[in-house]
Amino acid sequence: MLDAFSRAAVSADAKTACIGANEIASLKQYIAKANTRLDAVNAITSNANCIVSDAVAGMICENTGLIQAGGNCYPNRRMAACLRDGEIILRYIAYALLAGDASVLDDRCLNGLKETYIALGVPLTSQARAVAIMKASSLAHINETNTETQMAESNQMLQQRYNKMGTVKGDCSMVSAEAASYFDRVISALS
Amino acid sequence: MKSVVTTVVTAADAAGRMPSASDLESVQGSIQRASARLEAAEKLAAGFDAVVKEAGDACFAKYPYLKQAGEAGDNQGKVDKCYRDIGHYMRLINYCLVVGGTGPLDEWGIAGAREVYRTLNIPTAPYVAAFAQARERGCSPRDMSPQALAEYNSLLSYVIESLS
Repeated sequence: MLDAFSRAAVSADAKTACIGANEIASLKQYIAKANTRLDAVNAITSNANCIVSDAVAGMICENTGLIQAGGNCYPNRRMAACLRDGEIILRYIAYALLAGDASVLDDRCLNGLKETYIALGVPLTSQARAVAIMKASSLAHINETNTETQMAESNQMLQQRYNKMGTVKGDCSMVSAEAASYFDRVISALS
Repeated sequence: MKSVVTTVVTAADAAGRMPSASDLESVQGSIQRASARLEAAEKLAAGFDAVVKEAGDACFAKYPYLKQAGEAGDNQGKVDKCYRDIGHYMRLINYCLVVGGTGPLDEWGIAGAREVYRTLNIPTAPYVAAFAQARERGCSPRDMSPQALAEYNSLLSYVIESLS
């Protein structure tokens, strides 16, 4: 597993060169934006349950066949498995965002995920759709553009979980773009 | 690769939980010291050749017998390899300064080094002399800021410990 810093070490080692001023300049950017990054990770972890359940609820709303008899979310057992998987994927995305490098996501989550889902008969398009909704709501939490009405409107349970982080506003375009790239990585690994 | 972030993520993953507030705090703690480490890495990279040359000179100055026939530095090729090895260690120190942990030194420098040196019949004391010289020679604020120098020296000490 690598982070932004050890990634620089590994690529410098491949050239048997020191980590010079150029590489260090880009790492200094990571440091300058570190608090934003930690706030972003906190925004995801503090709202993980909401993000996951909203995404799975949204996925099912768009395709109600999933919870009818014979659907892939039909008995509670399989619905629970679906929620659990959503949380696991979100967790690895949070790790990757914290590390500033996708290697932990690739090695520990995405490697073989598609094959596993195919073997288990999990519909990949539904799973990818749930991840896409997680992406939208995670970015809303990171940028604090989340509103009560964006939550599933009919769902009182979810509306009660509406949570504004209240961090100081700043420029988090870089971090949210990076977070978006990790969600996209999961989606492309599933399709 | 061991660093503060990977240690935190590994622990969180083993427990199957999201990064907690204390995880984020420890990452934040390492980030706060990072600017000093990066400064040291940058300065070391800039003066790399001079540092390596001085350290290598120190080890042959302290142990001149190495250049006698039958010893570990009895021809120019072997002497060059000694300087090269010191350069490798210095490069790994540069990586460790960037990573903020001893991962690169542990994985690429120290693991197996003792066995290799024993097999090739190379004494480690001259390396210790070289790195001790480098540790002595670093000077703040001439070379880098005090905090950066402290980080750099602690890694030199780590190498010296591993070779003693």
